Amino acid sequence: MQKTLGSIAVDTTQEVPQRPAFINRRMMWLVIFIGGVIWALWESGIFQNKMVNTGGLALGGRFLSASLNPDLSGEFLLLTLNATLTTLAFAVIGLFLSVIVGFFGGVVVSETWIKSYTIARGDQELPILVRGLWLGLRWILVVFRSIHEVIWALVFVAIVGLDPLSAILALAIPFSAIIAKVFSEIIDEANHEPLYALLNSGISPSKAFLYGLFPLTFTDMLSYSFYRFECAIRAAAVLGIVGVGGLGYQIFLSLQTLKFPQIWTLLFALFLLNGLADLWSSLLRRRLGGDIRCGGSCVDVEAVHASQTSADPIYQDRVVRLSIIFAALLVPLSFWYLSPDIGKLFSARTIQNMVVVGQSAFPPNFTVFSLNEWIDLSKITIAMSLLAVAFAGISGLIFSFPAANNFLLSGGIFAAGSQNGTSQFLGTTVLVLTRGILLVLRSIPAPIWALLLLFVIFPGVIPGALALGIYTLGVLGRLVAEVIENLDERPLTALKSQGASRAGVFTYGALPPTYPRFISYLMYRWEEIIRATVIVGLVGAGGLGRSLTELLSSFDYQAVFAVLIVFIGITFIVDMISSSTRKTLRQS
Amino acid sequence: MFELFQVSRKFGVFPALEDITFNIMAGERVAVVGPSGAGKSTLIRLLNGTLFSTTGEVRVLGQRLDQLSPQALRQVQSRVGTVYQQFHLVDNLRVVHNLNAGHLNRWSLTKSLVSLIRPMDVQGAFNALEQVGIPEKLYERTDRLSGGQQQRVAIARVLIQDPEAILADEPISNLDPELSKEVIDILVDLSVCSGKTLFCSLHAIEFALSNFGRIIGLRRGRILFDSAAENVTDEMIKSVYRG
Ligand SMILES: Nc1ncnc2c1ncn2[C@@H]1O[C@H](COP(=O)(O)OP(=O)(O)O)[C@@H](O)[C@H]1O
Ligand SMILES: [Mg+2]
Repeated sequence: MQKTLGSIAVDTTQEVPQRPAFINRRMMWLVIFIGGVIWALWESGIFQNKMVNTGGLALGGRFLSASLNPDLSGEFLLLTLNATLTTLAFAVIGLFLSVIVGFFGGVVVSETWIKSYTIARGDQELPILVRGLWLGLRWILVVFRSIHEVIWALVFVAIVGLDPLSAILALAIPFSAIIAKVFSEIIDEANHEPLYALLNSGISPSKAFLYGLFPLTFTDMLSYSFYRFECAIRAAAVLGIVGVGGLGYQIFLSLQTLKFPQIWTLLFALFLLNGLADLWSSLLRRRLGGDIRCGGSCVDVEAVHASQTSADPIYQDRVVRLSIIFAALLVPLSFWYLSPDIGKLFSARTIQNMVVVGQSAFPPNFTVFSLNEWIDLSKITIAMSLLAVAFAGISGLIFSFPAANNFLLSGGIFAAGSQNGTSQFLGTTVLVLTRGILLVLRSIPAPIWALLLLFVIFPGVIPGALALGIYTLGVLGRLVAEVIENLDERPLTALKSQGASRAGVFTYGALPPTYPRFISYLMYRWEEIIRATVIVGLVGAGGLGRSLTELLSSFDYQAVFAVLIVFIGITFIVDMISSSTRKTLRQS
Repeated sequence: MFELFQVSRKFGVFPALEDITFNIMAGERVAVVGPSGAGKSTLIRLLNGTLFSTTGEVRVLGQRLDQLSPQALRQVQSRVGTVYQQFHLVDNLRVVHNLNAGHLNRWSLTKSLVSLIRPMDVQGAFNALEQVGIPEKLYERTDRLSGGQQQRVAIARVLIQDPEAILADEPISNLDPELSKEVIDILVDLSVCSGKTLFCSLHAIEFALSNFGRIIGLRRGRILFDSAAENVTDEMIKSVYRG
């Protein structure tokens, strides 16, 4: 028996505590997930059918070699510039509207708002009608969110035609719903003491929110809005494939005629646009990051606090201020560039079209498919999303560490101990290379990836899943790299200072705090992937998405409506699984 | 054990430590005291090899740290354990894994990985926890523990690492007085029982005088005094903390 140190008295006859059960809730999820992926592989037919189309290899090779001589003629460069500006303008206006709608929507659907009203009414229950309305609004947001931008675009094209207006609205509707959800979460998770103090002194909820809550949530909301800007650029590019213009549209056209040099010009423009947007957004978010992040240089808490209190309020930060001004200029410029015909929205023709589309979609016709067919279609959609998640998850884990700037560079988590020039050069090369790869992966819209993959892979679930997985890897890898860059430095220092090997520091210091965030991002992406199965379906990758395209092109709107309803049902289930996984992670 | 000769460390142009010279023998118990910003943490980092001096010589276990290969540096580092003011543990790991991190310089990668899934050397971890008085917390998640308990886990990890010298950087600054006394007692006891060298930085002087044989007074990066505890006068203390 060991001696106890110090002056504390303990019962030294204690037994070693029981090892916790190996099979816990987390393990259970892991087993279910692995089972699901195996099932999805089976479902994809990878074991039964030939996958690689050797006949297409030559075409794929020609495509790749065309990257060295993109079409740089003056005429085509002008077209590319126009397409780039169009995509940018779609994103700017769509996001601008979404932030406004999302802000008010987020306030109204937050628990905090309804609670504030209850308090303001002297703790009386709200009338059933108000409560019902509130719940209804939350559900509408869920439905709006679960339908992909491209589907919205198809609907608006049917109603207002091929006008920039269609693209803007198609982007703004799901984005408003997502922003409203996130803003309501930010509001609900904020510190409510100041708000309740104001409410209890008889101030109305609106004013109490203005003084007691918004100052606390402003930074987070601003930061999230700028993050959404990256997403908006990518979404705007995808919208092109329904014909509303922009880079996605031009790439689609050039792909159909196999004009590879043109595609590369457009792709380079897309990389540039995405790269700049990502750079801007991450620079800003770093400035806005309000919480204590102990970087490599800070020695102790006092130092951090000191630097925090002396810092100016965020809106006085030069970068933040310039960015807000720049964003404020972009909005009217984009309006001017696109000059969408807003009057059209209220024209008699539009309203007539709306009625026609509405009438022809009601009631939804579920009999287009037999029950078995419905089940098969749903199974394929789910299998495709699971394979995409598995691909993005495994490769994301490999890519995100080298893409973090505190991994291989000197002093980093996995840096070679010696600080010589070669290892620093090597580290920098790996960093730039992985970041570049991730940027390329996420810049190219998933349906374009699918089309490219179809050069060498036979149509089916696999190219769809790969396209979604590749694109998701690009997004996920970057998000997780940011998580790693913000890791608490202190446990890592402690491990290094006791002489632990690089692998030891990595497995005990870096991996454990990263993986819960990693899994929860992956789960969020799964919700996103399910939505996006529709758009790879558009290029023939199977499942509900493909049926949707076929039904749309035969103008069978009643059946389209039925497919959408089933689709929303699947999205709900995935949302539920995803959120309960995240909950399990937070608890254990 | 530790030999410093005319050591300075600058951050940019700012001198955090200047002209530091002292020797610490194996088995000695030394406290370095000074107000915040005096350079205590910087000094500790020089001794455990996470920072190198700008000028002067730092020798640990007879070796100049800034001239070692990464491998050799890790070898020396594994023989020096550090306890920090903010515990420096991985929050979302169970206590047992944070303790086993003390084995990392002996364990192979495979063993380290397997242990994260099925904890190994549980008995060793339990014994170490028992010595610091919280054996029942073996499988608790680390962020569920109080500050005092986390500091004990950090000390137990050093027990498992089993170094020849222990560095402690203000180990009690985040604890209340009663817990502070217990933690200092544990550290001093550990050094007495096993003959390990103990070098501890402290913000306040009280615990230093009663528990350590030798006191070094640090102020604005310079040593003001270096003397046996019984020879420390009120004058000397005042000189360290004056405004
Ligand atoms: N990494 C660093 N970069 C810049 N200045 C530093 C750094 N580490 C410490 N300093 C400065 O060196 C001085 C001594 O710091 P420190 O050793 O942490 O003091 P103590 O631990 O005694 O409070 C302080 O003024 C601090 O601001
Ligand atoms: Mg300090």
